[in-house]
Amino acid sequence: MSTTVEHAGGIADHIHPEPQGFIRRYVFSLDHKIIGIQYLITGFVFLVLAGLLAEVIRTQLLHANGGFVSNDTYNEVYTMHGSAMVWLVIIPLITGGFGNIIMPLQIGARDVAFPWLNMLSFWIFPVAGLMLFSSFLIGAPVAGWTEYPPMSLQAGPGTSMWAAAIFLVGVSSTLTGINFVVTMFQMRAPGMTFTRMPLFCWAQLATAPLLMIATTALAAALAALFMERQFGVPFFDPTKGGSPLMWQHMFWFYSHPAVYIMILPAFGMISEIIPTFSRKPIFGYKMIAFSSMAIALAGMMVWAHHMFTSGLAPYLQLPFMILTFTIAIPTGVKIFSWVATLWGGKIHYTTSMLFALGFLALFTLGGITGVFLAAVPFDLHVHGTYFVVAHFHYVLVGGSLMGVFAGMYYYFPKMTGRLMSEKLGKWHFWLFFIGFNGTFLPQHWLGMLGMPRRVPVYDPQFQFWNDVSTFGSYVMTFSILLFFINVLVSIRNGKKSGPNPWGARTLEWQIPSPPHYYNFKNIPTVYGLPYDFSQPLPYKGLEEELTDSPVHVGAH
Amino acid sequence: MAVATLPHGATAGHADHGEVDQLYVETRALRLQGFLLFLISDCVLFSSFIFAYLYMRNSGQSWPPPGINHLDVAFAALNSVVLFGSGATMHYALENWKHNNFGRYAFFMIATIVLGILFLSGQAYEYTNLYFKEHVSWAGSGIFGASFFTLTGMHGFHVTVGVIYLTVLFLQSVHGVYTKDKYFGLTAGTLYWHFVDVIWVALFTIFYLI
Repeated sequence: MSTTVEHAGGIADHIHPEPQGFIRRYVFSLDHKIIGIQYLITGFVFLVLAGLLAEVIRTQLLHANGGFVSNDTYNEVYTMHGSAMVWLVIIPLITGGFGNIIMPLQIGARDVAFPWLNMLSFWIFPVAGLMLFSSFLIGAPVAGWTEYPPMSLQAGPGTSMWAAAIFLVGVSSTLTGINFVVTMFQMRAPGMTFTRMPLFCWAQLATAPLLMIATTALAAALAALFMERQFGVPFFDPTKGGSPLMWQHMFWFYSHPAVYIMILPAFGMISEIIPTFSRKPIFGYKMIAFSSMAIALAGMMVWAHHMFTSGLAPYLQLPFMILTFTIAIPTGVKIFSWVATLWGGKIHYTTSMLFALGFLALFTLGGITGVFLAAVPFDLHVHGTYFVVAHFHYVLVGGSLMGVFAGMYYYFPKMTGRLMSEKLGKWHFWLFFIGFNGTFLPQHWLGMLGMPRRVPVYDPQFQFWNDVSTFGSYVMTFSILLFFINVLVSIRNGKKSGPNPWGARTLEWQIPSPPHYYNFKNIPTVYGLPYDFSQPLPYKGLEEELTDSPVHVGAH
Repeated sequence: MAVATLPHGATAGHADHGEVDQLYVETRALRLQGFLLFLISDCVLFSSFIFAYLYMRNSGQSWPPPGINHLDVAFAALNSVVLFGSGATMHYALENWKHNNFGRYAFFMIATIVLGILFLSGQAYEYTNLYFKEHVSWAGSGIFGASFFTLTGMHGFHVTVGVIYLTVLFLQSVHGVYTKDKYFGLTAGTLYWHFVDVIWVALFTIFYLI
């Protein structure tokens, strides 16, 4: 084992013996790839649960008078749907899941910086998820996923359970963030400068500080809510000297960056998929990389745009509005760069690419309504209506979840060595795309007409579009069922993929699928960007990766 | 991999180069960076509560609210001196470790732990005074009581953890876990202890000075 002289004997040369036994290999594994898959499995299980809650919501709204569940249950259902989707589905899937599996491979590392911490932060997550769902047993939280006081102070004991569970998820996220930053700062392969790092890693690098900083701010808010509910400490109750508005500040100081935690890694995934299936170098590599950082930075300074109707002083509204508008600029830079990458490319319409293209369309729509909502006068009109619901589902489902699906079809061969069925995949995509638009496009009109969110019954004039929305959601749910069938069937019977089924050029595709537990026999040296299609690969030292040559385990 | 962008403290290896192997140097760099990031995110936790307190203070009609200006600033200042003194002794403990003066290292380390405990006792005294004499409590004194006891309590918790941490480190060093060249645990302990000091500067300022 030798890579380059100056690294001799360092971490890159240090391969631990392969772990033995089922428990060490697949349950309490220290391997980032296994931990990532654990995140994916757990996240998808919670996706099913939270998705079923969504169907309860839509079924209730099939009739203007409701009647599917009681009004109190309805409150619990939409609160739990939102909380679970944000904290137990999208964030773990997209940071802990894909980040863990892909990022160390892409930078040419053997594992993350702190494998043990990685295992810990995974295992906190299912425990917290079970805690959150078990709050149904004691009366789930009812004040919406934002849990504004005073309502969250008056609700049943489930709200304290909610706060504790989300706090734990936050600890898990923070540890993941620390781990990822150190990994990317310290463990890149020789020659992989920051400006040669794949864009998915750049996206994770922009996300990780948000995980570290914003999540801790949420932890403070949750701790304060918990203390107030359990010990009567007056942080938010105005009658005892607290302020409910303070919760909104503390909550949104986390939860606005959280939307970038949920979308930036998806941006990264799209930045990998689009050049691969266009067979063209990515357009504007540096601009895409830096715009991720710009979004992360600006995203920390715009939280109060969620509070335009909360009595925020007008002199504060204006800067928050303008700052929010400016986020559209780096986001637009990305969209244009992706479109320019497609331009003149030889486009391969695989399922993964279809999801990436669908992402482009839907995320752009969601982004545009985001700019609408950032404008104070417009926000005052539609705040708390279905327009907001439509907006954030376009960016979170049409954006993040589409990104997750694109990533699943793209990276499934790397995780399992088998391809997913393209035929089922295309059914999945088209039904999902149609079902999604059927569900959420009408909600724009509903919101403009004034239908408030979080209501179990509504004015009969809204019935038609609600029914369209509900049937759309059934189609979407059915398509996700197809996805799970596809995953389960393809794990056993999918076509063998070989190391690089897509002809991609990043490092993870140059090694066997699935990779060995030590990732690389020799850590390669990197000489350039991974996106220059038609040029020779910019790596040296990968000759042995696909051969049977032995690796020297436990060299030290 | 960034080869040996050696963070501060690693200069200790100057005397004899060959002792510290590459694996240790790289692992140490990872741990140091990870630990600093942990401290940053811990700092955000305090900052959030500090922000909440200042926000509430500045949105009220008048400050302080009636019947709350009972803090014993002189006593707290004395207690702060104890804590900052422990920061100095901690610094000397680490420096003496680097220079192989085990006797002085032990003296300063024990001094740090004792000063830490002294600070905690001072805080306990202050709490009892506030609670029994001035009737200022966590849940019953508005945002002041809530913020004061939450923030100083969180800080006190950090000091308690620090005292335990330093004790463990000291016992480890007595049992030869650390060498002259490999002592990352002691560096981390020092950083943590200084962090706790810095947080106290902020808390002392917002509660006692302004």
